[in-house]
Amino acid sequence: MKKWLLGLTHSRRAGTLVGLFLLGALLSALTPFFLTRSNLMNVMEQTAINAVIAVGMTFVILSAGIDLSVGSITALSGVVLANRLQAGWGMAPSLVAGVAIGALCGLLSGLLITRGRLPPFIATLGMMSMARGAALLFTDGRPISGFEESLRFLSTGRIAGIPVPVLLTVVLYALAIVLLNRTRFGRYVYAIGGNEEATRLSGVAVGFHKTLVYVLSGVTAALASILLTARLNSAQPIAGMMYELDAIAAVVIGGTSLTGGLGTLGGTLIGALTMGVLRNGLNLLGISSFLQQIVIGFVIIVAVLTDSLVKSKRR
Amino acid sequence: MKNRPRLAGILPAVLLTLVSCGAPSPQNPAPSKPRVALVLKTLNSPFFIDMQKGAQAAADKLGLDLVVQAAEREVDVEKQMQIVENLIQTGVKVLLITPSGSREIVPVLAKANAAGIPVIIVDTRIDAAAATAASVKTASFIGSDNYEGGRVAGAELILATKGKANVALLEGIPGHDTGDSRLRGFKDATKDTPGVKVVASQTANWERDQGFTVFQNMLQAHPEIDALFACNDMMALGALEAIAAAGRTGKIKVIGFDAVDDARKAIETGTMVASVAQFPGDMGRLAVESASKLIKGEAVEASQQVRIELVKKAEGAK
Repeated sequence: MKKWLLGLTHSRRAGTLVGLFLLGALLSALTPFFLTRSNLMNVMEQTAINAVIAVGMTFVILSAGIDLSVGSITALSGVVLANRLQAGWGMAPSLVAGVAIGALCGLLSGLLITRGRLPPFIATLGMMSMARGAALLFTDGRPISGFEESLRFLSTGRIAGIPVPVLLTVVLYALAIVLLNRTRFGRYVYAIGGNEEATRLSGVAVGFHKTLVYVLSGVTAALASILLTARLNSAQPIAGMMYELDAIAAVVIGGTSLTGGLGTLGGTLIGALTMGVLRNGLNLLGISSFLQQIVIGFVIIVAVLTDSLVKSKRR
Repeated sequence: MKNRPRLAGILPAVLLTLVSCGAPSPQNPAPSKPRVALVLKTLNSPFFIDMQKGAQAAADKLGLDLVVQAAEREVDVEKQMQIVENLIQTGVKVLLITPSGSREIVPVLAKANAAGIPVIIVDTRIDAAAATAASVKTASFIGSDNYEGGRVAGAELILATKGKANVALLEGIPGHDTGDSRLRGFKDATKDTPGVKVVASQTANWERDQGFTVFQNMLQAHPEIDALFACNDMMALGALEAIAAAGRTGKIKVIGFDAVDDARKAIETGTMVASVAQFPGDMGRLAVESASKLIKGEAVEASQQVRIELVKKAEGAK
């Protein structure tokens, strides 16, 4: 744990973390409502969904890919989960069904990329449209709502005063960090993103591991749909629109290179928090919604720009 | 390179110290004027801009501090939820909201209730069953009678087509009470006229560009379409472009809803038959006036209807 915390402050992520603290300090100075326990809990809750999707997206981008389908998968998994809950399957089997459909979508994208040799952008663009269409078709365009109370616990529950979605996000990050840094699969993801051809020549089953990366991305999108469905107490086929862009933004603000091979999950978490804090702060200050979009775009560009300037200086 | 991590390790700590020094002295926690929040579905539609203007004028007159916010995308009810959560933190006295999802917004209204903030629903009703299940209480609903508006549109369509028409319908986002009510009103008004047949019905998600493409496709599939009821003007205006592209301007009777400026112009030039006018400015004004009453501890009516009116070309101008 201590090592992980130290890792957070390490080199590439440092800039992002400093940025987040500066932002926090600025907001605390500007509004008395920011630095309160309940508001900080809100920020973390609001960040959870994006942070969860961004886990899979980090693996994808580290492997030098991109996944545009995660928002649509969130919607599709959500409506499948909701439909199974209403069919009386009970919590655990319904959750599994939702996650399975997310994994299946990811598997399809992965196979199209590795076997079909499609660029990730195209394969997942197609999947984005297909998953959205499937969600709309499946529900006839209507939201599904009215579930047992146990699902709501995933949104409103508190354990030791900490919201359940926040705890689940932390657990997911802990597991994902182990997967990325302590397993062969994780090392291969970095290697593939760094130099795919060299990795292939050194005998790694690149196609298999790349496919797995998209399955993982589908799974984390599906996990996010559980949080989203619990939060809204409803599953909408139009949910999650543009969530892929929020997730990509979190990953790049967190210092992961879009060309692959470089980056960390800790950075992604900081990136997601930065976006959450920014949206929250701009709301608290009552700043116009239009201006908010400009500010968020500006922060994404500044974050990546400083990162690339620092890198080029070091060379 | 070696120095960077150390520097970076110190900075957050320094900042954290600064931050925690600043925290215990919350300067001016509440502004002198009572603060009221108006959370809209979107700010890129003339309808909601009119509502904002009406609300702002009333707030200025009554001495209230009005905060207006909307999500980046109209369909994104989760972002609307975040906005409400954040505004609850700023100690607003009353929450005025046009829900982006009739059921999905209910959980965050429960949070407002828990924080002791009265809620006034504007324009789009919340789902009664979901509200009851979550024991959410709202102080008032302010909006048009959309069902009645749909009926008025249906009656006008029968009149304009002399009771014989192959009708296309452009629906709003499924599951939104506003569009559903208009559609129900329209269907009830036309069901006893056997000559009026609905041949196609699809959603264009309230949007102008989607109204164009969806209606273009409808015309391809059903060339016999000679009348259109769109659940809002943005979709109707998009459809008008599709009609023009097909060279059938004036041959298809179009009726919309909201009577936005562009629709009024289209009605004047005769490309559109009619539109049901709502008065979003009145909704905004009434919402803020009701908020003011609640702050003073006065009672407000549980349901407040805002007038509707059919806008069509003046009789003499025909």
